[in-house]
Amino acid sequence: MLTSAFYFIAFVTIFFAIMVVVSKNPIHSVLYLVLTFFCISANYIFMLDATFVGMVNVIVYAGAIMVLFLYVLMMMNLNAIAEQKRSVLFKISAAVTGGMLLLVLVAALKDANLQIQGSALEAEQRIGSIKVLGYVLYSKYQLPFEVASILFLVAMIGAVVLGKKDNSTKTIGIEPVK
Amino acid sequence: MMVLIILTAAGILAMFASVFNGRSVVLPVSLSGLFAAGYFALLEWNTNTTYFEAMRMDNFAIAFTVVCLFAAFVFLLLYHYMHYSSDVHYAEVISIILFSLAGVVVMVSFTSMLMLFLGIEILSLSLYILAGLKKKDLLSNEASLKYLLMGAFATGFLLFGIAMLYGATGSFMLSDIAYYLGLHKAVAEPFIVTGIIMLMIGLLFKVAAAPFHFWTPDVYQGAPTLVTGYMATVGKVAAFAALVRVFQLGFSPALETYQFLFAAVAVTTMFIGNITALYQKSVKRMLAYSSISHAGYMLIALMAANEVTNGAVLFYSIAYTLASLLAFAVVAILQQKSGSDEVSVFNGLSKSSPLMSITFAVAMLSLAGIPPTAGFFAKFYVFSAAISDGWVWITVLAIINSFISVYYYFAPVIASYMKKGNEEGIVLATPVKVLLAIIALLTLLIGLLPGSLSYLI
Repeated sequence: MLTSAFYFIAFVTIFFAIMVVVSKNPIHSVLYLVLTFFCISANYIFMLDATFVGMVNVIVYAGAIMVLFLYVLMMMNLNAIAEQKRSVLFKISAAVTGGMLLLVLVAALKDANLQIQGSALEAEQRIGSIKVLGYVLYSKYQLPFEVASILFLVAMIGAVVLGKKDNSTKTIGIEPVK
Repeated sequence: MMVLIILTAAGILAMFASVFNGRSVVLPVSLSGLFAAGYFALLEWNTNTTYFEAMRMDNFAIAFTVVCLFAAFVFLLLYHYMHYSSDVHYAEVISIILFSLAGVVVMVSFTSMLMLFLGIEILSLSLYILAGLKKKDLLSNEASLKYLLMGAFATGFLLFGIAMLYGATGSFMLSDIAYYLGLHKAVAEPFIVTGIIMLMIGLLFKVAAAPFHFWTPDVYQGAPTLVTGYMATVGKVAAFAALVRVFQLGFSPALETYQFLFAAVAVTTMFIGNITALYQKSVKRMLAYSSISHAGYMLIALMAANEVTNGAVLFYSIAYTLASLLAFAVVAILQQKSGSDEVSVFNGLSKSSPLMSITFAVAMLSLAGIPPTAGFFAKFYVFSAAISDGWVWITVLAIINSFISVYYYFAPVIASYMKKGNEEGIVLATPVKVLLAIIALLTLLIGLLPGSLSYLI
């Protein structure tokens, strides 16, 4: 039962993911991407019992980020601009490279006999609950959790620095040549 | 741990100083932060303290931390003297630098894959922002966006690799992964192979090794020159330290399997870097290709993987950092003055600023690996590490590459001494003069007395 459910969800996920790439209209691409995120969340929730991660994935990715993306696309009105024409050679080489990566990965991983190690097995049984997740975050992974805050601080400062309007004509680096 | 806290605190202070109109205290705060961080890092020498099972300040980590702190110190001083009055984002830039150093500390001291990822991301994110500082310059915008997109792609590979390794070994800890690899003789298991190679791709992108180097010239050229100097020194040295660390602590049983892959990457990197550098008009682009080729030389030391590897990599990093800092500082000053980064701006430099021309010559000699400078012994240690491990052919190729590199390193030096140009004197602030002189002297000093430094770690 669970296996067939997995195959179904995986098939739908990959189908939507392909549609993201294939569809001509960027708005459709974004909408398909939202659906892909929903399917991935379904995988988290039903297969891995990771309800919290699944919900966060829906709220943050499918909800916030993709809607933002959609707004940007609509504001830029990319519909009107035709897709940049790429040469045939470029397309062929991209397809060959991507196909080769796929082939190698499938060939390498098709008969991988994965034995789940001790700690992963232990974690797997209880990983879903928020309680366990919180406990692990604040004990075992405390330092990485704290260090992540520096990352977000840098990102915020960066957004302000790059987004703020420069009033002075002078900018860093080359001074205006007299 | 203290190092991390101090750097972050100094960054936050520097950031808030600008809010309260305290632009003048930003530099003292950040410099004292750097010195305090360096002091607390050195206090932990030989202690091997582990924090939260996620990072360990061993001698390797401390040495690379101090090298990067020094590079940041030079960057901050130069940045202060060149942009204090002109840049509206003065304080923010300095605080981003301090935060990026926190990322560097994490990158060189991690024992857990999670910390590796976070450290790399903190440093990279800072560099993406710094690359785009010239907001009205299209090249700078392009550099920032290109670096961000390519970097995000590489990070995807890195994460995919970490996930594969976690799936196979059940742990993020480097020691657990090494234990698993040794216990199960599992270096050829599909998941492990895929994981290690994906991780390699992610890290080789960060050190700008071929064939993952395509972003380097454009980003290095587009970014503000001082920032390029920071990228080429701190960015590269920290990423390289992370690469060495992950392979030594985590994949040491697998290193022999991947040695040939590293050899192939090293050879391609050296040839692509050096040969493309030959026909660059812009000094910045030339230095970008030269930094690619230096990644190749450093990879040789990693590939040799014997007891002298760490010492050789550290020595090479120090020599490369000093020389690159000097080179980029001179190029930045000249670019600010003339607005161009062509080789022709060096014409007549020996008349207009003897100090800059002589320090630049020292930097080029060191990068090319000519004897009285640090660069010679850097290459000497790397090559002897390779030969003692039986890699003679790769050493021969590397020496051929060193000869090729002499040609393009000397072009600006010849221009500054032989060609006539603008002879109007360039006035430098005294601290900048002292700084340039000190770095040049250090380069010569290390070249004359290389002994103890190479056995430090």
